[in-house]
This record gives sequence, structure tokens and C-alpha cells, in this order.
Amino acid sequence: MNLDDGKAGNNMRRLDVAIPLILGILVFLFLLDLMLGSVNIPPNAFFKILTGGTVKVTWMNIFWDWRMPKAITTVFAGGALALSGLLMQTYFRNPLADPYILGISSGASLGVALVMMSAGIFGVGTIFTNGLISGISISMAAILGAFAVLLLILLISAKIKSNTTILILGIMVSYISGAIVTVLMQFSDESSMHSYSIWTMGSFSGVTWSQLPFLVILVLAGFILSLCLVKPLNALLLGEQYAESMGMNYDHIRKVIILTTALMAGAVTAFCGPVGFLGIATPHFCRALFVTADHRVLVPGCIIIGGILALCTDIISHVPGTNIILPVNAITALFGAPVVIWVIIRGTRFGRGVTT
Amino acid sequence: MSTASILTCTDLTIGYRNKKTIVKEVSKKLNLHLNRGELVCLIGPNGSGKSTLIRTLTGIQPPLSGEVWLCGKKIGDLSSEEKAKNLSVVLTTPVQAGYLTAFDIVALGRFPYTNWAGRLTESDKNIVMSALASVGADNLACRFIHELSDGEQQKVMIARALAQEPELMVLDEPTAFLDFPHKIDTMRILKKVAQKTEKSILLSIHDLNLAIRCADQLWIIDQNGTMISGIPEDLVLSGIFGSAFEIDGVSFDPIRGEFTIPVEKKGTFSIVAPESIERIWTLYALERIGFTPAEGSMADIDVMVRKDGEKPVWQLCNSDGKWECENICELVECISAHHEGVGYH
Repeated sequence: MNLDDGKAGNNMRRLDVAIPLILGILVFLFLLDLMLGSVNIPPNAFFKILTGGTVKVTWMNIFWDWRMPKAITTVFAGGALALSGLLMQTYFRNPLADPYILGISSGASLGVALVMMSAGIFGVGTIFTNGLISGISISMAAILGAFAVLLLILLISAKIKSNTTILILGIMVSYISGAIVTVLMQFSDESSMHSYSIWTMGSFSGVTWSQLPFLVILVLAGFILSLCLVKPLNALLLGEQYAESMGMNYDHIRKVIILTTALMAGAVTAFCGPVGFLGIATPHFCRALFVTADHRVLVPGCIIIGGILALCTDIISHVPGTNIILPVNAITALFGAPVVIWVIIRGTRFGRGVTT
Repeated sequence: MSTASILTCTDLTIGYRNKKTIVKEVSKKLNLHLNRGELVCLIGPNGSGKSTLIRTLTGIQPPLSGEVWLCGKKIGDLSSEEKAKNLSVVLTTPVQAGYLTAFDIVALGRFPYTNWAGRLTESDKNIVMSALASVGADNLACRFIHELSDGEQQKVMIARALAQEPELMVLDEPTAFLDFPHKIDTMRILKKVAQKTEKSILLSIHDLNLAIRCADQLWIIDQNGTMISGIPEDLVLSGIFGSAFEIDGVSFDPIRGEFTIPVEKKGTFSIVAPESIERIWTLYALERIGFTPAEGSMADIDVMVRKDGEKPVWQLCNSDGKWECENICELVECISAHHEGVGYH
């Protein structure tokens, strides 16, 4: 039996063509993100910096201390969100699942709210919100919050097999932490409430060079774990029972999936705030773009496309040439949603809608 | 049993164990054998424990006592990968997976054989294509699964189970969602697979007529959880088949090999007709409207079928007179119009 070349089973070949192209777009947008902002660095000066030359000190500072960590953060955060969204959509077999469905971001929010507002209540808020250590303490609080929820979910999932139950418990955790945050807000002063609401809008700009390695290492670990999961993820597309009948160890795999998702979503939330939309939309975008649900294509695809979409968001949110900075969460949905709607309804040459 | 036995169970008791004390026995003392290349239909009324048996035989649920042996090994001792190489399943629930082609789905059957990334070698691809070909779905390879009809999807799922290259395939009601011709087609494919590839196939099914016609062996569970196995014809002749399924008013006709639909009795008939297809269907029609053969006594109506040239003519006689009809529809109308008292409406 001869395989008709370029027809059946060519999912990987599709990736061979697409990867160089989308990687090129990623690099282009990365450079664009470094160039544009409140101060646009002219192309020739930009080229000089890239090749190791020296230009105006302000441009050098903007480039190295401000834009470079921001751009790196954006690429990794975008990829991590897209990938953890993909993992959750496959695990729950639900097209509406997103990285935060397990309650990870709610845990992080609760941690951040506790630091920001309880400090405000006890009168030491200014140290945290305006002082130098604010960034670190907020990240720490978010990581601790996310980690606490992760532990809770893992403990629950050891006892409960049904993933629908886990889904509902995740949503319940979100409600509980949301309620605690609301209560805290009632007692906190205006400035800490303001800084909390700024945090919930998400931003890729807050990560410093000293924090960046933590984010990158956590997210890279998530990428590698996800790449190791492609085969069981594909099996899970047929449902848990089929996957088990094919020799997959479901109990083991589900824990790895939950852990990987929490790792990536938790790290991103800790450093960038609860950035929404990218996680739920990018996997659908990738399925429509690559016209497959094969995770050997979707996992690398989501990493790169997630990075691309996050870079676009970041460029737009720092409205080039102005001092305006728009919240990331507003941009992702405002500009991203129409694009995604267009792609999944009309964008593919097959015109297929969303299916998981 | 001989070495050809793929699946054997000895003194198997199936059921559910709640905590430590409460035990619900569904069926006990099961001794079953499934040989290489054999197609076995598992039949039984709803709630008789078919699913429990299938879950136990496939190792999803532990037996309460006794052993299940798959290819000479205890099923509980097999690693999940070993088990996957000996046993594949087709579940009742349709798969809902978008953006996967039939080829991708069948390729997932290679799961126990591929590397960590699930990379398909050339031989894997050939196995996938020949699995698709043996269910007659090779033309569907590039189509998306969610765009296929129920019958085509079922073929693809059977091909997936086949690509797993097991010794035994277990199918849970593979004909449940299909119309009648596709039910027959699915059974034809499975029979062909069993014969050609020497795989053993166990399937649960609700279509008793189909099971009698297709199975090499029938496993019947009745309402009480009693299990009887044997070849279909023997089970029919011994009356076991009928008694396992008969409920109030529905009885099994061992001559026709099917269950008859009860109708209100309207009268008796006698028939004069040469052996022909018209005679057979006239009998069916009379039975359907509630007439039984007079068997020697005086019949309420007399029906005669004769040929007028090429065309058959039906003649109806009763105490009121004589009528000629061109087809069975007219005959039936005639009977209901002229048969006194209990007219057919």
C-alpha cells in the first residue's frame, strides 16, 4: 500500500513549511517591539545597537533596561499562555477551557490582593505598592497563591477521577478567592485598590532583568514538559477511555498535565498579572491555521503563535510614538477577538468553525 | 482449552464492590472461552450485565472472584502497554474530535508501538492504511472525522482498533447508532476481519436477528445474570434463546428465527396458493392484521392466490361472498370491509 504523498498523515510536513515562516514573523515582531514605543528608536540607530555599537545613552537605556526584558517576557508569556490553554482544552475536552480554569490565576490574585490591600489596611501599604521591593513581593505573593491552588487541585485530583468535578472545583476556588478579594477591597484604601486593579489588567512591562530568569526557566520547563506530552495528548483527543485502552497511564498523565499548566500559567500570572484571552483564543487560532488537532503540530505552533500574538498586543498597548499605555487585557480582547473570529469563521481555506 | 484460546475466564464472578462489605453480584461462575478468529456476540436484555462483563473482560474493572486470562496471561498482571498490544476496544459513544482526519484517528491505534513523540514509521503508515482498507474506508483517509457519517465513523473506529494489532477486539454495541443496512455492513466487515486477520472479536449487540446470523458463538446473559454460551443454531433449537428474551406477549419464532410482534386476534384463514413469494407475503400480511391459520377447523376467510398470466390475483371468500383483488393492499381492505364484527381498521 503506497501512501499518497502530501495527503494522509502529512501533519508534520505541514509544520515543516509553516515553522520557518512563523518563526520569521516572530523575529520580525520581536525586533519591532524593541524599536517601537513611547520613544521610537530610528532604524539606523536600532541597527547600531543590535550590532553592538553605541548610540544615544537614553536609547541604549530604553533598549537594554526596558524594552529587551519586556520583549523577552512577552514572547515567553504569550507562548506559555497559549500552550497552557491548549493543554486545558485537550484535558477537559472543552473548547471554553483556558489556562486559569483550574483557579490558578484566582489563587495568584488572592495572594496579590492580600499583599497589596492587607498591607494597606495595616498602614504599611506604601512600602509594598510604591517601594522598590513592590515588584518582587507582588510576584512572590502571586507565586505563593498560584502554588497553593495548584497543591489543592493536585490533592483533589488524586482523590477524584472525574475531570468535570475538577473543573467545577476549580471554578469554585475562583469564586471563593474572588469573594475574599472583594471583602478585602471593602476595607482597603483607594490607592491600594487602584494598584490592585492595575495589576489585574495585566502587563508585560514589569519584569526586570533579575526576575526574568525565573520566568524563563519556569516557562521553558513547561514547554519541554508539554513537548513530552504530545503523544498522550493526542490519545486524549479520543477521550480518557480510549487513551487508557491504548496503554496510556491516565492517572500519571493527568497529574503531569495539571502540573505543567499550573507551572506556566502560574509563572505568567505572577510576573505579568492575569493576562486573559490569549490562552483561550490562540489554540483555536492554531487549529484553524494548521487545520489539524495533532499536538505534534499544535504544541510548537501554540508556543510560536502565542508569542506572535502577545508581541502584537504589546506593540499596540504601548501606542507607538505616544506616552499612552493601554492595559494589555483590553488590547488582547479588543484587537485579538475580531482577528480570531475572522480566522475561525472564514480564515481557513476550508472555512471550518471551532471544533475540539 | 486448546492453545487457540485467546480469552478464557475461569469461575469468574462479576459485579460491584462498594467499600468493603456491600457486594452486588451481577453474574457468577462464568467459564468462557474465545478462540482465535472467532466472532462472538454477547447478547442480553438491558440491565443484564453485558457492560459489566465487558468491563471485567477488558480489565477495566476487577472481577469479584475468578480469573480472566488474555493470551495465556492473567489480565491483571499485564502492563497497560502489553494489554494494549493484545486487546483493543471500540466504545459505544461516538468520538467527537475536530480537526483530526480518519488517518490521524487510525494512526492513534499505533500508540503502543510508536516512540515518545508518536512518530509513525513507514511500516506504521502501511499498517494504518491497510487497516483502513480492510474496513473499506481507505477513501476516507484524508477526510475529517467530524465530517463523516455515523456509519463511516464507525468504520474508522474499527480500523483504529485493528491498527492496534491486537489478538482480541472488544466492541461495545458497535451497531447502536446505525440504520439497518449499515448495521449489516458493520457486521459483514467484522466477520471479514475475523476471518482474514485471524483476530478474535467480542461484541455486545441488541439486534438479536443479526447476532443469530453472524456470530460463531453466542454468549447470552438472561435477566437473572445466568450465562449460556453456544453456537446460535443450537441455542435456538434448545429453546434457550427464546426463553432468555421473551417478555409478556413477545415471543420468539424458532422457525423464522425472529421475534414476532403480538397482534390482536381477528379470525382464522385458509389459503390456497402455489409455493411462491406471493404466498409468503400474503401469509405475512394476514398474520399482521391478526389472522391465524385455521388448522383444519372451519376458516373465517378463504384466500386464494393464482396467476392470471404474469400477474398474481388474490381471491377472497367468506360467508358473504367472493372478491377479487389486484394486490395485497386491496385484499387487506377487502378483508376489513367484509369481515364481520371485528373489522380491521
